[in-house]
Amino acid sequence: MTHETTERRANYLGVFIILIVLTLIETLVSYVQQDAIKFPVLIVLSVIKAVLVLLYFMHLKFDSRLYTYLFVAGCVLAIPLILVMTIVMPIIAKY
Amino acid sequence: MNNTVDTAPVSQHDNSKLAMWVFLGGEVVFFIALILVFLLARLVNADYNAQFRSHLSIPVIALNTFILVTSSYFMVRALEAVSHGEEKGLRNNLLVVIVLGLLFLGGQAFEWTSLFNEGVSYSTVFGMPFFTLTGIHGTHVFIGVLWAIYILISHRRIPYTQESHVGIENFGLYWHFVDIVWIVLFTLIYLI
Repeated sequence: MTHETTERRANYLGVFIILIVLTLIETLVSYVQQDAIKFPVLIVLSVIKAVLVLLYFMHLKFDSRLYTYLFVAGCVLAIPLILVMTIVMPIIAKY
Repeated sequence: MNNTVDTAPVSQHDNSKLAMWVFLGGEVVFFIALILVFLLARLVNADYNAQFRSHLSIPVIALNTFILVTSSYFMVRALEAVSHGEEKGLRNNLLVVIVLGLLFLGGQAFEWTSLFNEGVSYSTVFGMPFFTLTGIHGTHVFIGVLWAIYILISHRRIPYTQESHVGIENFGLYWHFVDIVWIVLFTLIYLI
């Protein structure tokens, strides 16, 4: 087994442990009553977990940037949807 | 440095892997649309939100989340095994991914059955977006499990090698994406 193999395996295990710990923290935070604290913390933790999976498990950190652009393009294409919904949501909520 | 990889022309990328990333980009739009519909239902019916949430079991779903995150780890180990020519490692890790995927689906079936028993149906304000969203995600997991089984079976016929294993890599990308979607859904549906 090469040094590189050992190092990469250790990294994956490290990312996995971080993901598990963050999930545990998320679950505990969900029982906090103050929404002003709970909401931003949970969203930030969720984003960190998703980015960790993308960067390390899906290898975006090490792979070609083209794959990152393709994935980000999906997020960008969803922006009009988000904007429309953001405009429509308050209007619908009134009725 | 990474510059060599980053500036590689498109023709040097594997076509199927490129196609997988294009597909995942499309999936992002699809799931964001579904999530927005769920959030809309939640905003419009704020009063019913708390009532609906009282039916959801956070510990069961947290366990399901642990299962899916763990399956992602074993998936990455399967890919690592095949990229080092370890056939047995690929087979064993993929088998764990399949078992964990089935456990996740079992957990979801348990949750749905409990909700139905408590009178939460598809035709309610929250039932429709909830079952649609979690159901479509569950379908993705199910397809992933079938894909993994196919890889295990076909591996005997067409062995993946240290040099040629893009099929495993593509499956891994799909599986991790399904994991990411669940990470987001877990927060937006169950925790917030």
